[in-house]
Amino acid sequence: MAEATLTWPKNYNEVPKAAFIRADLYADEIQRIFHGAEWHPIAHESELPNPGDFKTMRLAGIPLLISRDEADVVRVFYNACSHRSNQLETAVMGNKTEFECPYHRWLFNAKGDLVGCPNPREFLPGFDKADYPLGQPRFELFYGLIFVTFSSETEPLETFLGEAGETLRELMAGDGRLKLLGYQKVRYDSNWKGYNDNDGYHAPLLHAAFKMLNWQGGKGRQYTCTRRGHVCFESALSVASGPSVLKDKDLIAFKGQDPSVGSRIVQLFPTFVSTKHLDIINLRFATPIDAETTEVHYAYFAHQDDDDEMLRHRLRQSSNLLGPCGLISMEDASIFHRIHIGSHTPGNAIFQKGVRDPSKLESEFLQNDESGNLPRWEYYRSVMGFERAEA
Amino acid sequence: MTDSIDGLEMALDRLLLADANALDSKDMKGWLANYAEENEASYYCRATENTEHNLELGFMFDDCRARLEDRVTYVNEIWAGTFQDYRTRHFVQRVSHWQVDASTAEAISNFSVFMTPMDTGVTQVLAVGRYLDRLRLSDAGDAKLLSRRAELDTSVLPRYLVYPI
Ligand code: FES
Ligand SMILES: [Fe+2]
Repeated sequence: MAEATLTWPKNYNEVPKAAFIRADLYADEIQRIFHGAEWHPIAHESELPNPGDFKTMRLAGIPLLISRDEADVVRVFYNACSHRSNQLETAVMGNKTEFECPYHRWLFNAKGDLVGCPNPREFLPGFDKADYPLGQPRFELFYGLIFVTFSSETEPLETFLGEAGETLRELMAGDGRLKLLGYQKVRYDSNWKGYNDNDGYHAPLLHAAFKMLNWQGGKGRQYTCTRRGHVCFESALSVASGPSVLKDKDLIAFKGQDPSVGSRIVQLFPTFVSTKHLDIINLRFATPIDAETTEVHYAYFAHQDDDDEMLRHRLRQSSNLLGPCGLISMEDASIFHRIHIGSHTPGNAIFQKGVRDPSKLESEFLQNDESGNLPRWEYYRSVMGFERAEA
Repeated sequence: MTDSIDGLEMALDRLLLADANALDSKDMKGWLANYAEENEASYYCRATENTEHNLELGFMFDDCRARLEDRVTYVNEIWAGTFQDYRTRHFVQRVSHWQVDASTAEAISNFSVFMTPMDTGVTQVLAVGRYLDRLRLSDAGDAKLLSRRAELDTSVLPRYLVYPI
């Protein structure tokens, strides 16, 4: 197989801009990363809370169907009929305990068993329905968060998550007993790495809102873990004080139980970002569409024990604060586009803030350091097999 | 009787067009002026996909007058200079309406919104959907929005939203 190559700069804080835009790297990335030995979160089981609930989506092109059967067991399938691979379910979500392929009427139950097919005596001699269940990728659940991998070589999910697992658990209200509030879905004109490099990491300078709301960043910690360079942020969130330009101050009110750590972000290689900010619990399921497009489904959650007032508060805050139209994140979205455009120029993107020694990688950072992305870039380089230039 | 029905239709369409015009002119104060002064005046922008699954979360959730006023502040002050600006053109068409009581009417209108980013100049569809409106009628015969729900068929937006739909 002809493999795309790219020579990587010798300094850890430099990333070739070509990595963001070269279309010839893209097919290789899909093979090595998205269809390779990585875990990808695709849903939280609370998105399908009732027996028979299902959800479909595509991850790097691969159609997936998640279903909850009558006995409350959640499973992930390829969303393709086991006969000739017709897309089995077309709805994005719904409730069904049987899935019928309209092409030749094969019928599957929510466990993925082939339970019926017309005229099987005309099939190959010895045809047995038991040999044709729906195909399944490997999947594992972590506090209800459903991960898939398309490689048999991927290490167990717990190893993949490492220390990030603890922050992720805390981010999902401590116990993962979530309740879905809804989705904001958007396509960004950005390579998946341009999206990923600029979503979790926050440049407070970008946000005029922080200044106008008199909102000082709290004390915080940023760390990376595992060889993949997952990034986690934990920070105290000072609630905006003093005069506000907002008439509805509930938008930035903090009514939750976790005031010492008001804000958490967990960013997993390759594309997953999740955040708990004020009373918002937000899981962002992202997939590359092509080398220049990334689709992100922002799913928002409450906790199952919330009373009506808290539920209402989360709904009002989640809809208007984060996401592609949110008060403090709309500008982020525009940065994804602009980084992608600007990266069509020669040279390297050079990371500065928090870099003490360009010949070393670290794992503890200050809250607003941009150097937290560098371990992830190093992992990307190694998975892609790109050589680093000699020192 | 015919006169008053025509009068209602005219009032509804005047408001529909005034709102499209305010949005396409990026006149957020003009946009706000299309809403009733009442505290419950509200604007929601949400994917129909969410609504159909009883998920209330939206792209914009301005459930009271204070939030409508804050949205003017977001666009005019807080976000100024941080995004790639774009022009929009709203094409709107009322498809049904009915009078609820002497001072209230409801209407459903289709919309399609084209977007032309200033930097690329390439036009594309931003969103398509329906407005579900509840309107306050004044004695003078004009209509203001008591509640507007922009329900988007477009469940995956082609970009972030700055201006309401
Ligand atoms: S492809 Fe599904 S029944 Fe034939
Ligand atoms: Fe941000």
